[in-house]
Amino acid sequence: MSFLIRTIDYTAAGREIVRERTVYQSSLFIGRAAENDIHLPDLAVEQRHISINQLPDGGLQVEALGTLGFGIDGRVVSKAAVDPATGAEIELGSSRLTIAKEAGDAISITIKQAEEKGAKVDTVAGFALASALPSKRAMAWVFSLAILVLLLSIPVFTHLTRDKAAPGEPAPMVDQVAFDSTWSSGELSLAHHDLKDNCEACHATPFVSVQDNTCLTCHEELGEHAAKPRLAKGMAPLPAGEAWQWAVAQTLGKEGPGSCTSCHLEHEGKVRQQAATQQFCSDCHDALDTRLSDVGFGNANNFGEKHPQFRPTFYTAYGQDEPVRVSLDKKIEEKSGLKFPHDIHMDAQGGVARMAISLPNYEEPLDCASCHALTQDEVGFEPVEMEDSCESCHSLVSGRSGSGFTSLRHGDVDDLMEDLARIDRSPRRPVSPVARGRTRPGQFARGGTYAVNFGRPASSLISINRALMPGGTCGDCHINTRTDGRPDLVPVNIPDRYMQHGFFSHKAHEEEKCTDCHEANTSKASTDLLLPGLKSCRDCHIGEVLPSRAMTVAVKDDEVPSTCAMCHGYHTPTNPWPGDHPILQSTPEGARGRERGRETDSVASLSAMFKD
Amino acid sequence: MTAASQKASQNTFKQREKARNADHVGFLKHKYFRYLWVALALCGVCIAGYVMIDQDPRPNGGSWYGYTLGTIGVLLIIWLSLLGLRKRRPTPGHWSLKSWTSAHVYLGLSLIVVGTLHTGFQFGWNVHTLAYALMIIVIVTGIYGVAVYATLPAKLSSNRNEMTRTQMVEALTAIDRQLETAAQPLNRDQSDLVIGALEQDIFYGGAWGRLAGSYPGCATASALKNLDTASGNEATEKVHTLLTRRSDQLAQIRRHLRIRALLEVWLFIHVPATIALLAALLAHIVSVFYYW
Repeated sequence: MSFLIRTIDYTAAGREIVRERTVYQSSLFIGRAAENDIHLPDLAVEQRHISINQLPDGGLQVEALGTLGFGIDGRVVSKAAVDPATGAEIELGSSRLTIAKEAGDAISITIKQAEEKGAKVDTVAGFALASALPSKRAMAWVFSLAILVLLLSIPVFTHLTRDKAAPGEPAPMVDQVAFDSTWSSGELSLAHHDLKDNCEACHATPFVSVQDNTCLTCHEELGEHAAKPRLAKGMAPLPAGEAWQWAVAQTLGKEGPGSCTSCHLEHEGKVRQQAATQQFCSDCHDALDTRLSDVGFGNANNFGEKHPQFRPTFYTAYGQDEPVRVSLDKKIEEKSGLKFPHDIHMDAQGGVARMAISLPNYEEPLDCASCHALTQDEVGFEPVEMEDSCESCHSLVSGRSGSGFTSLRHGDVDDLMEDLARIDRSPRRPVSPVARGRTRPGQFARGGTYAVNFGRPASSLISINRALMPGGTCGDCHINTRTDGRPDLVPVNIPDRYMQHGFFSHKAHEEEKCTDCHEANTSKASTDLLLPGLKSCRDCHIGEVLPSRAMTVAVKDDEVPSTCAMCHGYHTPTNPWPGDHPILQSTPEGARGRERGRETDSVASLSAMFKD
Repeated sequence: MTAASQKASQNTFKQREKARNADHVGFLKHKYFRYLWVALALCGVCIAGYVMIDQDPRPNGGSWYGYTLGTIGVLLIIWLSLLGLRKRRPTPGHWSLKSWTSAHVYLGLSLIVVGTLHTGFQFGWNVHTLAYALMIIVIVTGIYGVAVYATLPAKLSSNRNEMTRTQMVEALTAIDRQLETAAQPLNRDQSDLVIGALEQDIFYGGAWGRLAGSYPGCATASALKNLDTASGNEATEKVHTLLTRRSDQLAQIRRHLRIRALLEVWLFIHVPATIALLAALLAHIVSVFYYW
């Protein structure tokens, strides 16, 4: 057997020098020692480093002779089998021995010096994922700069440079807040939604929280709950934690408790704004009398537990100039100036009922709706009109005229006197029974040009007195009096609203019968004020369901959770909410809203209420 | 040796033994999970506050509790991101890097609770939710990072088969040199296949190829497939054998690349997302107070 040993060297100029020799033996020793078959002058190589033995099957057995292994095909081993047909590369120190099969079964071993390993450092670096991805630092710069430019700088720049739109007007430029909108934490409420392209309508100055004055530029008509000093005086001292919070907030420029934004939060989505919770009211009203001793109303914290008796406003004396507010707990009589026993009119078996059945416009016994008509919004009732509701029975017909009847006019004593006088000018009873049936002929006859009334002249004064007296035409319902020596009637004083400081909707109570709350069917006189008291309301209205109760007892079907805001407003406590007012917590949808026209009144009465 | 000095030396031994043991406790179990408990306590307090404090009308980042959670969150985020600076400045002492890393992991996880409660569960297409989303991305990649650091290094080691990266590449280069020699007798088409395999970058495939371990354009695989071995030509046979060896060697390198990529990829999201998060936080905070 033979090995062809080929040594390749390079001259300094880079020229290749190839030397070949053939060794005729079946095994080779390779090492640093000169007596080896292949002598590698390399300190990294052992004296006798490896042996290569030819096996009977033609393969080669490469074996390390010392403790140091050798490199073969890139890995370090101490023993390896090599098929000359496939070849192999043995690495010893800086030398590389390539085994290959030459023509004629000879095995060649080509010895070459390894190249410099300088380039391999980069190769190892290629194993890191960093070599296949953009650098972390570059990505960090790109992302953060993009965010700082698009989401911070551009919104600030556009805000500072764009033309401001007046509230309610369209923005001067389309999409001028396209970048600012990325700052919006949520959509604006329904009421403010038109301002969505107009950030500065509310956020007037950068880094200054939304100020009350900004709100009031639009909501200028809004009344104050009370004058600011009184509000401050009436407010319960804040708990230490909350006081500290407000101290921090005020240091940072917030306006403090009682400012618009402390209750009215925005950017909570395109919904109606939520009213404040009951806690907001009861914080002050729970023990208000300890701080404001001059208020007329009692303390309140929850309708079901602590709420003063109702104090309706009505007339307590005949001919009173202004109605007065009296608690239902007092012994009270309403002096409206009308006589009207509800019980007689509502008795389904009585004479009134028989009369009503006989009349074509009733045909059945009277009920409440026979006289009381709901207003169009079904919240309250229209005033009862004598002509519509009473006159069918309490007729004012005074005589015949042509095809119909003449009536006394209702509503003014002077008109009545005139009408009565006119009756008196009509034919008298004949002076003597002899004259009965005999009239003068021609133009002297009754109705003719020269007819003369010879009746007694004083009868008209007598009849007006008689009409106003109890039992007379007017005195049935009215109370007579004298004004400046002349016969007169006590004026009818019925307030439009009895409960002026809260809000009650009849529509919301349409499932109840009237008499469940108003004891009209047993009321014998109009001096009975038929308003239900607190107790009656509390049958259903249990107040706010406190968390302590909500956890233990479920709300029953006939119980109505009712917070303050169900009956009271903050800015307009005397009136129902305007139609576009936010939904109040636990307020049925239908219980809201009369026409907006009343708002101005409400402000007037509101400021009257808190005048001092 | 007196009894006292014997005892003293025993104590010293015990202390050293304790220190040695502590050295071998990972950052997760550091100090008996000290920072896990700290993080759990923080989460517990935040959740309790969220549940018990009546936020009107609904929980919101702009309520006082929202601002409180936001402040805690932003301080945590800034501190957590400082790990990047801390690890570049080795300082011995109480705040060892292990301690710092342990706190980084557990307090970072607690941000899921703090941050989410800060949002009041209100999300939208805005800079605020962007900051939240980036925070969640950073945390999720961090969780991934901890998970792969616990599992993948063992696989990496077993795949090495006692070879260094250099050796793997050298093995391939050795095969390549033999391949080049062996391919000399081949005709044009066949030798082009070999040239294609030899010239292709070892790390061909890009980041996705590494992560998925998928190399559809591998020239070695293509050469192996297309090499005409039917002729029984000896040279071709030899080239085929060498190509198979090359393919095997490449497979080992690529397994290494894949494990390495899976091990490292989270940092390529974690770190840039952290910096982006800091920018988004700045925009978030400025915007909140700009339009206050």
